[in-house]
Amino acid sequence: MRRLVWLSVVAAIAIAYPLLLSSPFQQRLGALVLLYAIAASAWNIVGGYAGQVSVGHVVFFGCGAYAAMGSYAKFGLSPLFGIPGGIVLAVALAAIIGVPTLRLSGHYFSMATIAVAETMRLIVTNTEWLGAAVGLSGPTVPRNVFDLSFLSSLPYYYLFLAVLAITLLVTWWMTNSRMGFYLRAIKDSERAARSLGAPASRTKLYAYMLSAALTSVAGALYAMMFGFVDPESGLGILISVKILIMAALGGAGLLFGPLVGAAILVPLEEISNSWLGGKGAGLTFVVYGAIIVVIARFQPGGLLSLFTGRRKPGADKGAGHAP
Amino acid sequence: MLLEARGITKAFGSFKAVDDASVTLERGDILGLIGPNGAGKSTFFNCLTGDLKTTSGRVLFEGGNITDFAPEQRAGLGLARTFQVPQTFEGMTVLENVMIGAFLRTAHRKEAETRARAVLERVGMTRLADAPARSLGTPGRKRLEIARALATEPKVLLLDEAMAGLNANEVKLAIDLVRDIHRSGITLVIVEHIMEVIMSLASRVMVFHQGKEIARGSPREVTSNPAVIEAYLGKRAAKAAAGHTPVELMGGPDL
Ligand SMILES: Nc1ncnc2c1ncn2[C@@H]1O[C@H](COP(=O)(O)OP(=O)(O)OP(=O)(O)O)[C@@H](O)[C@H]1O
Ligand SMILES: [Mg+2]
Repeated sequence: MRRLVWLSVVAAIAIAYPLLLSSPFQQRLGALVLLYAIAASAWNIVGGYAGQVSVGHVVFFGCGAYAAMGSYAKFGLSPLFGIPGGIVLAVALAAIIGVPTLRLSGHYFSMATIAVAETMRLIVTNTEWLGAAVGLSGPTVPRNVFDLSFLSSLPYYYLFLAVLAITLLVTWWMTNSRMGFYLRAIKDSERAARSLGAPASRTKLYAYMLSAALTSVAGALYAMMFGFVDPESGLGILISVKILIMAALGGAGLLFGPLVGAAILVPLEEISNSWLGGKGAGLTFVVYGAIIVVIARFQPGGLLSLFTGRRKPGADKGAGHAP
Repeated sequence: MLLEARGITKAFGSFKAVDDASVTLERGDILGLIGPNGAGKSTFFNCLTGDLKTTSGRVLFEGGNITDFAPEQRAGLGLARTFQVPQTFEGMTVLENVMIGAFLRTAHRKEAETRARAVLERVGMTRLADAPARSLGTPGRKRLEIARALATEPKVLLLDEAMAGLNANEVKLAIDLVRDIHRSGITLVIVEHIMEVIMSLASRVMVFHQGKEIARGSPREVTSNPAVIEAYLGKRAAKAAAGHTPVELMGGPDL
């Protein structure tokens, strides 16, 4: 009951925000928070609940971003058509990466995912068909509303809000299913979970594929909003790191943890960028580094677990592994 | 024949922790597995459950070869186990721990919860259902291990020192629980150091020493076997101890 009240309050704030704080900067900020919340929530499925800290998640982000821009740049279609394509690509890639690497424990899995992501970035950077270092652009002048190319951030805001709601709903459904129970068990003791009949490798793989699918949607939305994708913005390792830190800061393995993390870090980054200009980017990374240290040292459950009081299952290990 | 192991060898490097061990288990048996520390009991046990890959030898379940089956596949067939060092799911409640076992036979959360509650009732942990599992002490964890395994509805249950670390009274309660489990038609393999437990539960006993089987038979036969006494006490002590009852010598009964 109390949860329901909280949920309604949060939903009301989310819906009213861009109308109350309606400057272009504020609306853009809101949209970005939601976008990163989608990506971090998607990461949370495998990094938080399954305890498999992927640092290469940006490859799935890139699948979505390139598919969306590619469907326009290569086939003259609305970027929207790229979404299903991006999902298929991301899920297939997750299967190919996941089968060999999910067996690796902890840090080895993390390192393997970094290697895959960096390799992918190099391949794309050298692929003429994908625009190489320049990347691909979306429609500069929208032909119709389905090109999803708007000047205002407001339409993006509500689109992202809807997608975030779906992402959280899927996550919630998963945590209440057998799969969610198995993931938590596997994270605590894979050996015991298997002895009780939980197919550990398969369950982790499914979580990884689900997470990849949702991450690719986030990538597609990102590219649509910015109207282009290049190897840095679509496949740069720092995007992975940002996503991971947001989830860990808010609370990995908690449903709303990633949203809380995004709501803190995105404004921090945007504001420091606008105050300090180019130099801001450096500061942001100092802040990220500090956050990693603090999370690792003091509150392995993330901020949200301070309020929920109980250190949720996902919490410790998911965040503890943050490199 | 429910479970059979033929010529199991498990080597870690050049060290053979289990050396050519065989066993057969009939429906309704309670097989006791004893031996001094480091004898290879747990290793043998882990070869039966699939936690360890055997170096050589075969494991058969209901006549089928399961040597290459993963632990989760064996659980599906009806082979359940507990761990010597409890592997509690720390982030879950007691009930949720048991639900993980129950999920093997149903995909539905509500149904898994109903079944898990029934198991908790059976092992006398109903009051603890909603307690965080990490709040349990050793006796609670040991019992939870059994409850989880029972929830998978096994045909064979393998208990690895399920009573180690319990006081006399808790051991008595645990023996009652194992009897009750046996009465419900589950075949058991119990690894145990406490001789009293073996004496009062096992129908057959197998003795390990340095990875090899050195004796088998009824509990009485085995505990009066000189080779067994020697394995536990060393040669000189065994001679000196001649005339004492074997059970006393082997550390039990201390109830
Ligand atoms: N993973 C491993 N790697 C190397 N050696 C091992 C491994 N596991 C067990 N051993 C060794 O194998 C031998 C048998 O160990 P095991 O745990 O099976 O004995 P046990 O009979 O169960 O003893 P206890 O009564 O103390 O539980 C021991 O010498 C142990 O050190
Ligand atoms: Mg042992």
